[in-house]
Amino acid sequence: MSGESSEPLLIDIGIRGKPWKSPVVNILTLFRHRFLLRNLVRREIRGRYRNAMLGYTWAVLEPAMLASVYYFLFIMLAGNPDRLYPVWVILGVIVWSCFGKGLQATVSSLSRNGQTLHLVYFPRIIFPASAVQGNIIISLMSCLVVIPIMFIYDLPLTIYLLYVPASILLAGFLAIGLGMLVAPLNCVQRDAEHLFRFIVRAGFFLSPVMWTYEMAIERGALGEMVLFNPMVVPLTMARHGIAGENIGIPWFGVLGSLGFGIIMWVIGSYVFSRYEAGAVKHL
Amino acid sequence: MNSNAVEIENVTLHFPKQKGLLKSLKNLLLWKNDKFTVLRDVNINIKKGEVLGVIGKNGSGKSTLLRIISGIYPADNGTCKTAGRISLLAGLGTGFSGHQTGRENAILYGSILGHDEEEMISKLPEIIEFSELGPFIDEPVRTYSSGMKARLGLAVASAISPDILLIDEVLGVGDPQFKEKSKKRILDLVNSTSTVVLVSHSFALMTEICDRLAFIHKGKIISVGDPENIIKLYYETTGA
Repeated sequence: MSGESSEPLLIDIGIRGKPWKSPVVNILTLFRHRFLLRNLVRREIRGRYRNAMLGYTWAVLEPAMLASVYYFLFIMLAGNPDRLYPVWVILGVIVWSCFGKGLQATVSSLSRNGQTLHLVYFPRIIFPASAVQGNIIISLMSCLVVIPIMFIYDLPLTIYLLYVPASILLAGFLAIGLGMLVAPLNCVQRDAEHLFRFIVRAGFFLSPVMWTYEMAIERGALGEMVLFNPMVVPLTMARHGIAGENIGIPWFGVLGSLGFGIIMWVIGSYVFSRYEAGAVKHL
Repeated sequence: MNSNAVEIENVTLHFPKQKGLLKSLKNLLLWKNDKFTVLRDVNINIKKGEVLGVIGKNGSGKSTLLRIISGIYPADNGTCKTAGRISLLAGLGTGFSGHQTGRENAILYGSILGHDEEEMISKLPEIIEFSELGPFIDEPVRTYSSGMKARLGLAVASAISPDILLIDEVLGVGDPQFKEKSKKRILDLVNSTSTVVLVSHSFALMTEICDRLAFIHKGKIISVGDPENIIKLYYETTGA
Protein backbone atom coordinates (compact mmCIF):
# COMPACT_ATOMS: atom_id res chain seq x y z
CA MET A 1 0.00 0.00 0.00
CA SER A 2 3.03 2.27 0.27
CA GLY A 3 2.77 3.28 -3.36
CA GLU A 4 -0.56 5.01 -2.94
CA SER A 5 -0.87 8.42 -4.45
CA SER A 6 -2.85 9.89 -1.55
CA GLU A 7 -0.69 10.35 1.51
CA PRO A 8 -2.03 8.62 4.62
CA LEU A 9 -3.02 11.10 7.28
CA LEU A 10 -2.01 11.18 10.91
CA ILE A 11 -4.75 9.59 12.97
CA ASP A 12 -5.01 9.26 16.72
CA ILE A 13 -4.45 5.67 17.63
CA GLY A 14 -5.76 3.86 20.65
CA ILE A 15 -8.77 6.16 20.69
CA ARG A 16 -11.94 4.12 20.68
CA GLY A 17 -15.29 5.31 19.44
CA LYS A 18 -17.84 6.60 21.89
CA PRO A 19 -19.06 3.62 23.93
CA TRP A 20 -22.71 4.65 23.61
CA LYS A 21 -22.45 4.27 19.86
CA SER A 22 -21.07 0.77 20.14
CA PRO A 23 -24.36 -1.20 20.01
CA VAL A 24 -24.72 -0.06 16.39
CA VAL A 25 -21.04 0.31 15.52
CA ASN A 26 -20.37 -3.26 16.69
CA ILE A 27 -22.78 -4.69 14.14
CA LEU A 28 -21.10 -2.77 11.31
CA THR A 29 -17.68 -3.82 12.59
CA LEU A 30 -18.65 -7.47 12.61
CA PHE A 31 -19.86 -7.18 9.05
CA ARG A 32 -16.69 -5.45 7.91
CA HIS A 33 -14.44 -8.06 9.52
CA ARG A 34 -16.48 -11.06 8.42
CA PHE A 35 -13.48 -12.85 6.88
CA LEU A 36 -11.59 -12.72 10.17
CA LEU A 37 -14.73 -13.65 12.07
CA ARG A 38 -15.27 -16.67 9.86
CA ASN A 39 -11.71 -17.87 10.40
CA LEU A 40 -11.93 -17.43 14.17
CA VAL A 41 -15.25 -19.29 14.27
CA ARG A 42 -13.67 -22.11 12.31
CA ARG A 43 -10.84 -22.26 14.84
CA GLU A 44 -13.38 -22.37 17.66
CA ILE A 45 -15.37 -25.23 16.10
CA ARG A 46 -12.33 -27.24 15.02
CA GLY A 47 -10.91 -26.84 18.51
CA ARG A 48 -14.02 -28.30 20.11
CA TYR A 49 -13.91 -31.58 18.22
CA ARG A 50 -10.18 -31.97 17.68
CA ASN A 51 -8.64 -35.44 17.81
CA ALA A 52 -12.07 -37.05 18.07
CA MET A 53 -12.73 -40.03 15.84
CA LEU A 54 -16.44 -39.26 15.74
CA GLY A 55 -15.73 -35.55 15.28
CA TYR A 56 -18.82 -33.51 14.51
CA THR A 57 -21.06 -36.50 15.23
CA TRP A 58 -20.61 -35.50 18.86
CA ALA A 59 -22.64 -32.37 18.20
CA VAL A 60 -25.65 -34.68 17.72
CA LEU A 61 -24.57 -37.48 20.04
CA GLU A 62 -24.01 -35.34 23.13
CA PRO A 63 -27.50 -33.81 23.40
CA ALA A 64 -29.10 -37.13 22.45
CA MET A 65 -27.24 -39.00 25.18
CA LEU A 66 -27.91 -36.27 27.74
CA ALA A 67 -31.59 -36.26 26.87
CA SER A 68 -31.86 -40.02 27.40
CA VAL A 69 -30.38 -39.63 30.88
CA TYR A 70 -32.87 -36.90 31.76
CA TYR A 71 -35.67 -39.00 30.30
CA PHE A 72 -34.94 -41.85 32.73
CA LEU A 73 -34.51 -39.39 35.58
CA PHE A 74 -37.89 -37.86 34.81
CA ILE A 75 -39.64 -41.23 34.67
CA MET A 76 -38.17 -42.11 38.03
CA LEU A 77 -39.16 -38.80 39.64
CA ALA A 78 -42.47 -37.94 38.02
CA GLY A 79 -43.41 -41.03 36.07
CA ASN A 80 -45.49 -41.40 32.96
CA PRO A 81 -44.51 -38.39 30.85
CA ASP A 82 -46.20 -37.25 27.69
CA ARG A 83 -45.41 -39.19 24.49
CA LEU A 84 -43.30 -36.39 23.08
CA TYR A 85 -41.40 -35.75 26.32
CA PRO A 86 -38.10 -37.19 24.94
CA VAL A 87 -38.39 -34.72 22.06
CA TRP A 88 -38.97 -31.82 24.44
CA VAL A 89 -35.90 -32.76 26.45
CA ILE A 90 -33.59 -33.20 23.50
CA LEU A 91 -34.58 -29.80 22.07
CA GLY A 92 -34.31 -28.28 25.52
CA VAL A 93 -30.79 -29.58 25.88
CA ILE A 94 -29.74 -28.30 22.45
CA VAL A 95 -31.17 -24.80 22.91
CA TRP A 96 -29.93 -24.53 26.48
CA SER A 97 -26.40 -25.61 25.63
CA CYS A 98 -26.31 -23.02 22.86
CA PHE A 99 -27.06 -20.41 25.51
CA GLY A 100 -24.98 -21.91 28.30
CA LYS A 101 -21.86 -22.72 26.31
CA GLY A 102 -22.20 -19.50 24.34
CA LEU A 103 -22.42 -17.51 27.57
CA GLN A 104 -19.40 -19.20 29.13
CA ALA A 105 -17.41 -18.82 25.91
CA THR A 106 -18.28 -15.11 25.74
CA VAL A 107 -17.32 -14.49 29.35
CA SER A 108 -13.88 -16.01 28.76
CA SER A 109 -13.55 -14.74 25.18
CA LEU A 110 -10.98 -12.07 26.04
CA SER A 111 -9.10 -13.95 28.74
CA ARG A 112 -8.70 -17.06 26.55
CA ASN A 113 -7.28 -15.09 23.64
CA GLY A 114 -4.50 -13.24 25.40
CA GLN A 115 -1.92 -14.30 22.83
CA THR A 116 -3.92 -13.07 19.88
CA LEU A 117 -4.80 -9.86 21.73
CA HIS A 118 -1.13 -9.03 22.19
CA LEU A 119 -0.26 -9.83 18.61
CA VAL A 120 -2.23 -7.20 16.79
CA TYR A 121 -5.07 -4.78 17.29
CA PHE A 122 -8.45 -5.36 15.72
CA PRO A 123 -11.89 -4.49 17.09
CA ARG A 124 -12.28 -6.76 20.09
CA ILE A 125 -15.99 -7.27 19.69
CA ILE A 126 -14.88 -9.97 17.28
CA PHE A 127 -13.83 -12.25 20.16
CA PRO A 128 -17.22 -12.57 21.90
CA ALA A 129 -18.92 -12.66 18.51
CA SER A 130 -16.81 -15.56 17.29
CA ALA A 131 -17.32 -17.43 20.58
CA VAL A 132 -21.10 -17.19 20.28
CA GLN A 133 -21.20 -17.77 16.55
CA GLY A 134 -19.19 -20.96 16.99
CA ASN A 135 -21.70 -22.25 19.51
CA ILE A 136 -24.63 -21.28 17.32
CA ILE A 137 -23.19 -23.25 14.42
CA ILE A 138 -22.54 -26.30 16.61
CA SER A 139 -26.10 -26.10 17.95
CA LEU A 140 -27.47 -25.86 14.43
CA MET A 141 -25.53 -29.04 13.62
CA SER A 142 -27.08 -30.64 16.69
CA CYS A 143 -30.46 -29.76 15.24
CA LEU A 144 -29.94 -32.39 12.56
CA VAL A 145 -31.24 -34.75 15.21
CA VAL A 146 -34.63 -33.25 14.45
CA ILE A 147 -34.83 -35.15 11.15
CA PRO A 148 -34.94 -38.70 12.59
CA ILE A 149 -37.18 -37.47 15.40
CA MET A 150 -39.74 -36.22 12.93
CA PHE A 151 -39.87 -39.66 11.33
CA ILE A 152 -39.98 -41.60 14.60
CA TYR A 153 -42.75 -39.50 16.13
CA ASP A 154 -44.49 -38.88 12.82
CA LEU A 155 -44.47 -35.09 13.23
CA PRO A 156 -45.85 -32.78 10.54
CA LEU A 157 -43.47 -30.75 8.39
CA THR A 158 -44.68 -27.17 8.70
CA ILE A 159 -43.35 -23.68 8.32
CA TYR A 160 -43.19 -23.51 12.12
CA LEU A 161 -40.14 -25.78 11.96
CA LEU A 162 -38.20 -22.57 11.31
CA TYR A 163 -38.76 -21.77 14.97
CA VAL A 164 -36.08 -24.35 15.78
CA PRO A 165 -33.14 -22.48 14.17
CA ALA A 166 -34.73 -19.17 15.21
CA SER A 167 -34.74 -20.25 18.84
CA ILE A 168 -31.05 -21.10 18.62
CA LEU A 169 -30.27 -17.67 17.20
CA LEU A 170 -32.27 -16.06 20.00
CA ALA A 171 -30.48 -18.16 22.63
CA GLY A 172 -27.13 -17.09 21.17
CA PHE A 173 -28.21 -13.46 21.10
CA LEU A 174 -29.25 -13.60 24.75
CA ALA A 175 -25.88 -15.14 25.59
CA ILE A 176 -23.67 -12.57 23.85
CA GLY A 177 -25.17 -9.49 25.50
CA LEU A 178 -24.93 -10.98 28.96
CA GLY A 179 -21.45 -12.36 28.31
CA MET A 180 -20.03 -9.09 26.98
CA LEU A 181 -21.10 -7.41 30.18
CA VAL A 182 -18.60 -9.47 32.18
CA ALA A 183 -15.94 -10.42 29.60
CA PRO A 184 -13.69 -7.43 30.52
CA LEU A 185 -14.20 -8.11 34.23
CA ASN A 186 -13.10 -11.70 33.70
CA CYS A 187 -9.71 -10.45 32.48
CA VAL A 188 -9.18 -8.66 35.79
CA GLN A 189 -10.44 -11.38 38.09
CA ARG A 190 -11.32 -14.84 36.83
CA ASP A 191 -14.05 -15.11 39.45
CA ALA A 192 -16.56 -14.05 36.81
CA GLU A 193 -15.88 -17.24 34.88
CA HIS A 194 -16.50 -19.44 37.91
CA LEU A 195 -19.62 -17.56 38.89
CA PHE A 196 -21.05 -17.89 35.40
CA ARG A 197 -20.30 -21.60 35.30
CA PHE A 198 -22.54 -21.87 38.35
CA ILE A 199 -25.19 -19.61 36.82
CA VAL A 200 -25.32 -21.81 33.72
CA ARG A 201 -25.68 -24.97 35.85
CA ALA A 202 -28.38 -23.46 38.06
CA GLY A 203 -30.17 -21.92 35.11
CA PHE A 204 -30.40 -25.37 33.56
CA PHE A 205 -32.80 -26.42 36.31
CA LEU A 206 -34.57 -23.07 36.61
CA SER A 207 -35.29 -22.96 32.89
CA PRO A 208 -37.65 -25.32 31.09
CA VAL A 209 -35.00 -27.78 29.91
CA MET A 210 -36.12 -30.89 31.76
CA TRP A 211 -39.61 -29.49 32.18
CA THR A 212 -41.76 -27.44 29.83
CA TYR A 213 -43.53 -24.11 29.91
CA GLU A 214 -46.88 -25.91 29.80
CA MET A 215 -46.02 -27.93 32.90
CA ALA A 216 -45.36 -24.67 34.76
CA ILE A 217 -48.62 -23.15 33.56
CA GLU A 218 -50.55 -26.21 34.77
CA ARG A 219 -49.31 -25.43 38.26
CA GLY A 220 -51.51 -22.34 38.31
CA ALA A 221 -50.98 -18.59 38.37
CA LEU A 222 -47.44 -18.79 39.75
CA GLY A 223 -46.53 -20.68 36.61
CA GLU A 224 -46.62 -17.50 34.56
CA MET A 225 -43.75 -16.23 36.65
CA VAL A 226 -41.45 -18.33 34.49
CA LEU A 227 -41.88 -15.71 31.77
CA PHE A 228 -39.47 -13.56 33.75
CA ASN A 229 -36.84 -16.00 32.54
CA PRO A 230 -35.92 -14.84 29.02
CA MET A 231 -34.78 -18.35 28.07
CA VAL A 232 -38.34 -19.70 28.36
CA VAL A 233 -39.21 -18.21 24.99
CA PRO A 234 -36.49 -19.83 22.84
CA LEU A 235 -36.90 -23.18 24.61
CA THR A 236 -40.68 -23.23 24.15
CA MET A 237 -40.44 -21.84 20.63
CA ALA A 238 -38.22 -24.72 19.48
CA ARG A 239 -40.60 -27.30 20.95
CA HIS A 240 -43.71 -25.81 19.42
CA GLY A 241 -41.89 -25.43 16.14
CA ILE A 242 -41.13 -29.12 15.82
CA ALA A 243 -44.67 -30.02 16.85
CA GLY A 244 -45.91 -27.78 14.04
CA GLU A 245 -47.62 -25.22 16.25
CA ASN A 246 -47.31 -21.49 16.86
CA ILE A 247 -45.26 -20.27 19.83
CA GLY A 248 -48.02 -20.60 22.42
CA ILE A 249 -46.57 -17.96 24.74
CA PRO A 250 -48.39 -14.67 25.39
CA TRP A 251 -47.07 -11.84 23.21
CA PHE A 252 -45.65 -9.92 26.15
CA GLY A 253 -43.55 -12.94 27.01
CA VAL A 254 -42.04 -13.07 23.53
CA LEU A 255 -41.53 -9.33 23.48
CA GLY A 256 -39.99 -9.46 26.94
CA SER A 257 -37.42 -12.03 25.87
CA LEU A 258 -36.53 -10.16 22.68
CA GLY A 259 -36.43 -6.89 24.60
CA PHE A 260 -34.17 -8.41 27.23
CA GLY A 261 -31.83 -9.59 24.48
CA ILE A 262 -31.71 -6.16 22.87
CA ILE A 263 -31.22 -4.35 26.19
CA MET A 264 -28.44 -6.75 27.12
CA TRP A 265 -26.82 -6.20 23.73
CA VAL A 266 -26.93 -2.43 24.25
CA ILE A 267 -25.64 -2.52 27.83
CA GLY A 268 -23.19 -5.32 27.06
CA SER A 269 -21.80 -3.47 24.05
CA TYR A 270 -21.44 -0.29 26.07
CA VAL A 271 -19.66 -1.95 28.98
CA PHE A 272 -17.50 -4.06 26.68
CA SER A 273 -16.35 -1.08 24.60
CA ARG A 274 -15.82 1.06 27.65
CA TYR A 275 -13.65 -1.42 29.53
CA GLU A 276 -11.99 -3.82 27.05
CA ALA A 277 -8.94 -1.63 26.51
CA GLY A 278 -8.15 -1.44 30.20
CA ALA A 279 -8.97 -5.07 30.77
CA VAL A 280 -6.47 -6.26 28.19
CA LYS A 281 -3.65 -4.89 30.34
CA HIS A 282 -4.47 -7.51 32.94
CA LEU A 283 -3.82 -10.40 30.56
CA MET B 1 2.63 18.76 4.49
CA ASN B 2 3.39 16.73 7.57
CA SER B 3 6.42 14.51 7.25
CA ASN B 4 5.88 12.48 10.42
CA ALA B 5 4.56 8.95 10.24
CA VAL B 6 4.26 8.55 14.01
CA GLU B 7 3.87 11.29 16.59
CA ILE B 8 4.00 10.26 20.22
CA GLU B 9 3.35 12.98 22.74
CA ASN B 10 3.69 12.67 26.50
CA VAL B 11 2.58 9.06 26.44
CA THR B 12 2.33 7.45 29.86
CA LEU B 13 1.15 3.91 30.39
CA HIS B 14 0.45 2.17 33.66
CA PHE B 15 0.03 -1.51 34.21
CA PRO B 16 -2.16 -2.86 36.99
CA LYS B 17 -0.61 -4.99 39.69
CA GLN B 18 -1.86 -8.48 40.35
CA LYS B 19 -3.78 -8.35 43.62
CA GLY B 20 -5.16 -10.78 46.15
CA LEU B 21 -8.53 -10.59 47.87
CA LEU B 22 -7.52 -8.43 50.85
CA LYS B 23 -5.51 -6.01 48.76
CA SER B 24 -8.41 -5.69 46.28
CA LEU B 25 -10.88 -4.94 49.06
CA LYS B 26 -8.55 -2.36 50.55
CA ASN B 27 -8.16 -0.71 47.16
CA LEU B 28 -11.89 -0.75 46.65
CA LEU B 29 -12.45 0.94 50.03
CA LEU B 30 -9.77 3.56 49.51
CA TRP B 31 -10.84 4.04 45.89
CA LYS B 32 -7.34 3.72 44.51
CA ASN B 33 -5.46 1.35 42.31
CA ASP B 34 -2.01 -0.14 42.68
CA LYS B 35 -0.12 0.18 39.46
CA PHE B 36 3.32 0.53 38.05
CA THR B 37 4.37 2.79 35.25
CA VAL B 38 5.74 1.15 32.14
CA LEU B 39 6.16 4.23 29.99
CA ARG B 40 6.65 7.69 31.43
CA ASP B 41 6.18 10.84 29.35
CA VAL B 42 7.45 9.37 26.15
CA ASN B 43 7.87 11.86 23.33
CA ILE B 44 9.11 10.85 19.93
CA ASN B 45 8.37 11.66 16.33
CA ILE B 46 9.19 9.18 13.63
CA LYS B 47 9.60 10.63 10.17
CA LYS B 48 8.20 9.12 7.04
CA GLY B 49 10.76 6.89 5.39
CA GLU B 50 12.82 6.56 8.52
CA VAL B 51 14.16 3.35 10.04
CA LEU B 52 14.17 3.80 13.79
CA GLY B 53 15.78 1.29 16.11
CA VAL B 54 14.77 0.99 19.75
CA ILE B 55 17.26 -0.39 22.25
CA GLY B 56 17.09 -0.92 25.97
CA LYS B 57 17.37 -3.62 28.56
CA ASN B 58 14.77 -6.33 29.02
CA GLY B 59 11.65 -4.89 30.59
CA SER B 60 12.52 -1.30 29.77
CA GLY B 61 9.32 -0.80 27.77
CA LYS B 62 10.44 -1.39 24.17
CA SER B 63 7.74 -3.89 23.28
CA THR B 64 5.14 -1.84 25.11
CA LEU B 65 6.07 1.16 23.01
CA LEU B 66 5.46 -0.87 19.84
CA ARG B 67 2.14 -2.04 21.25
CA ILE B 68 1.16 1.58 21.87
CA ILE B 69 1.97 2.44 18.26
CA SER B 70 0.03 -0.53 16.96
CA GLY B 71 -2.96 0.32 19.13
CA ILE B 72 -2.98 -2.78 21.32
CA TYR B 73 -2.72 -0.65 24.45
CA PRO B 74 -4.27 2.79 24.46
CA ALA B 75 -2.11 5.33 26.32
CA ASP B 76 -3.30 6.37 29.76
CA ASN B 77 -2.01 9.85 29.13
CA GLY B 78 -0.86 11.67 26.05
CA THR B 79 -1.53 10.89 22.44
CA CYS B 80 -0.13 8.68 19.76
CA LYS B 81 -0.83 9.55 16.15
CA THR B 82 0.05 7.38 13.21
CA ALA B 83 -0.33 7.71 9.47
CA GLY B 84 -1.27 4.70 7.41
CA ARG B 85 -1.54 0.99 7.78
CA ILE B 86 0.50 -0.51 10.60
CA SER B 87 1.77 -3.99 11.02
CA LEU B 88 3.47 -5.44 14.08
CA LEU B 89 5.73 -8.44 13.69
CA ALA B 90 6.08 -9.99 17.12
CA GLY B 91 5.95 -13.41 18.69
CA LEU B 92 5.72 -15.19 15.36
CA GLY B 93 3.55 -18.24 15.42
CA THR B 94 2.22 -17.75 18.94
CA GLY B 95 -1.35 -17.37 17.77
CA PHE B 96 -1.43 -20.65 15.88
CA SER B 97 -4.00 -23.27 16.70
CA GLY B 98 -2.29 -26.64 16.82
CA HIS B 99 -5.09 -28.80 15.53
CA GLN B 100 -5.51 -26.91 12.27
CA THR B 101 -3.25 -27.38 9.28
CA GLY B 102 -0.50 -24.98 8.31
CA ARG B 103 -2.57 -23.74 5.40
CA GLU B 104 -5.58 -23.00 7.61
CA ASN B 105 -3.37 -21.30 10.16
CA ALA B 106 -1.76 -19.18 7.47
CA ILE B 107 -5.20 -17.96 6.43
CA LEU B 108 -6.26 -17.42 10.05
CA TYR B 109 -3.08 -15.57 10.97
CA GLY B 110 -3.30 -13.52 7.79
CA SER B 111 -6.85 -12.48 8.58
CA ILE B 112 -5.81 -11.64 12.14
CA LEU B 113 -3.12 -9.38 10.69
CA GLY B 114 -5.79 -7.61 8.70
CA HIS B 115 -5.80 -9.13 5.23
CA ASP B 116 -9.04 -9.51 3.40
CA GLU B 117 -10.00 -12.71 1.68
CA GLU B 118 -8.84 -11.92 -1.86
CA GLU B 119 -5.51 -10.63 -0.68
CA MET B 120 -4.97 -13.78 1.35
CA ILE B 121 -5.88 -16.12 -1.48
CA SER B 122 -3.58 -14.34 -3.88
CA LYS B 123 -0.69 -14.36 -1.43
CA LEU B 124 -1.05 -17.91 -0.16
CA PRO B 125 1.13 -19.65 -2.79
CA GLU B 126 3.95 -17.21 -2.13
CA ILE B 127 3.59 -17.65 1.64
CA ILE B 128 3.71 -21.43 1.36
CA GLU B 129 6.73 -21.29 -0.90
CA PHE B 130 8.62 -18.96 1.38
CA SER B 131 7.88 -21.04 4.48
CA GLU B 132 9.63 -24.03 2.84
CA LEU B 133 7.19 -26.35 4.57
CA GLY B 134 6.46 -28.35 1.42
CA PRO B 135 3.99 -31.17 2.08
CA PHE B 136 3.86 -30.28 5.81
CA ILE B 137 1.66 -27.30 4.99
CA ASP B 138 -1.36 -29.62 5.06
CA GLU B 139 -0.40 -31.25 8.36
CA PRO B 140 -1.68 -29.99 11.73
CA VAL B 141 0.54 -27.32 13.25
CA ARG B 142 0.92 -29.30 16.49
CA THR B 143 3.24 -31.64 14.55
CA TYR B 144 5.54 -28.73 13.64
CA SER B 145 8.82 -27.95 15.33
CA SER B 146 9.18 -24.50 16.84
CA GLY B 147 11.40 -23.47 13.95
CA MET B 148 8.78 -24.55 11.43
CA LYS B 149 6.10 -22.57 13.26
CA ALA B 150 8.27 -19.49 13.30
CA ARG B 151 8.98 -19.91 9.58
CA LEU B 152 5.30 -20.08 8.77
CA GLY B 153 4.69 -17.08 11.03
CA LEU B 154 7.35 -15.01 9.34
CA ALA B 155 6.15 -16.06 5.89
CA VAL B 156 2.63 -14.82 6.63
CA ALA B 157 3.63 -11.73 8.54
CA SER B 158 6.15 -10.56 5.97
CA ALA B 159 3.78 -10.98 3.04
CA ILE B 160 2.10 -7.72 3.95
CA SER B 161 2.86 -4.25 2.74
CA PRO B 162 2.09 -1.74 5.49
CA ASP B 163 2.95 1.94 5.64
CA ILE B 164 4.52 1.51 9.05
CA LEU B 165 6.26 -1.69 9.97
CA LEU B 166 6.98 -2.54 13.61
CA ILE B 167 9.41 -5.38 14.20
CA ASP B 168 9.88 -6.86 17.64
CA GLU B 169 12.75 -9.32 17.90
CA VAL B 170 11.68 -11.63 15.14
CA LEU B 171 15.08 -12.13 13.59
CA GLY B 172 17.08 -15.24 14.18
CA VAL B 173 14.50 -17.99 13.91
CA GLY B 174 15.10 -21.33 12.26
CA ASP B 175 18.25 -22.95 11.00
CA PRO B 176 21.18 -20.85 9.70
CA GLN B 177 19.98 -21.04 6.10
CA PHE B 178 16.52 -19.84 6.99
CA LYS B 179 17.97 -17.24 9.34
CA GLU B 180 19.88 -15.78 6.41
CA LYS B 181 16.78 -15.93 4.24
CA SER B 182 14.56 -14.33 6.87
CA LYS B 183 17.07 -11.56 7.48
CA LYS B 184 17.09 -10.85 3.76
CA ARG B 185 13.29 -10.91 3.68
CA ILE B 186 13.04 -8.47 6.54
CA LEU B 187 15.68 -6.23 5.01
CA ASP B 188 13.70 -6.27 1.77
CA LEU B 189 10.62 -5.40 3.75
CA VAL B 190 12.46 -2.63 5.55
CA ASN B 191 13.63 -1.26 2.19
CA SER B 192 10.22 -1.44 0.55
CA THR B 193 8.30 -0.08 3.53
CA SER B 194 8.66 3.58 4.10
CA THR B 195 8.70 3.70 7.90
CA VAL B 196 10.12 1.02 10.16
CA VAL B 197 10.47 0.75 13.91
CA LEU B 198 12.77 -2.07 14.93
CA VAL B 199 13.31 -3.53 18.37
CA SER B 200 16.32 -5.77 18.60
CA HIS B 201 19.30 -6.66 20.72
CA SER B 202 21.44 -7.19 17.66
CA PHE B 203 23.41 -3.93 17.70
CA ALA B 204 25.42 -4.85 14.62
CA LEU B 205 22.25 -5.13 12.58
CA MET B 206 20.85 -1.95 14.09
CA THR B 207 23.87 0.16 13.16
CA GLU B 208 23.70 -1.34 9.70
CA ILE B 209 20.09 -0.53 8.87
CA CYS B 210 18.80 2.12 11.29
CA ASP B 211 18.85 5.84 10.55
CA ARG B 212 18.37 6.71 14.21
CA LEU B 213 18.33 4.81 17.46
CA ALA B 214 16.20 5.50 20.51
CA PHE B 215 17.49 4.38 23.88
CA ILE B 216 14.75 3.56 26.32
CA HIS B 217 15.50 2.94 29.98
CA LYS B 218 13.00 2.27 32.78
CA GLY B 219 10.11 3.50 30.68
CA LYS B 220 11.75 6.75 29.60
CA ILE B 221 13.37 7.68 26.35
CA ILE B 222 16.84 8.74 27.42
CA SER B 223 18.10 9.80 24.06
CA VAL B 224 17.46 9.59 20.33
CA GLY B 225 20.14 10.01 17.74
CA ASP B 226 22.97 8.61 15.72
CA PRO B 227 23.30 4.79 16.21
CA GLU B 228 26.96 4.75 17.33
CA ASN B 229 26.51 7.44 19.98
CA ILE B 230 23.35 5.86 21.31
CA ILE B 231 24.96 2.44 21.64
CA LYS B 232 27.83 4.04 23.51
CA LEU B 233 25.33 5.75 25.79
CA TYR B 234 23.55 2.44 26.31
CA TYR B 235 26.71 0.83 27.66
CA GLU B 236 27.52 3.86 29.78
CA THR B 237 24.07 3.85 31.38
CA THR B 238 23.48 0.16 31.87
CA GLY B 239 27.06 -0.95 32.50
CA ALA B 240 29.13 -3.04 30.14
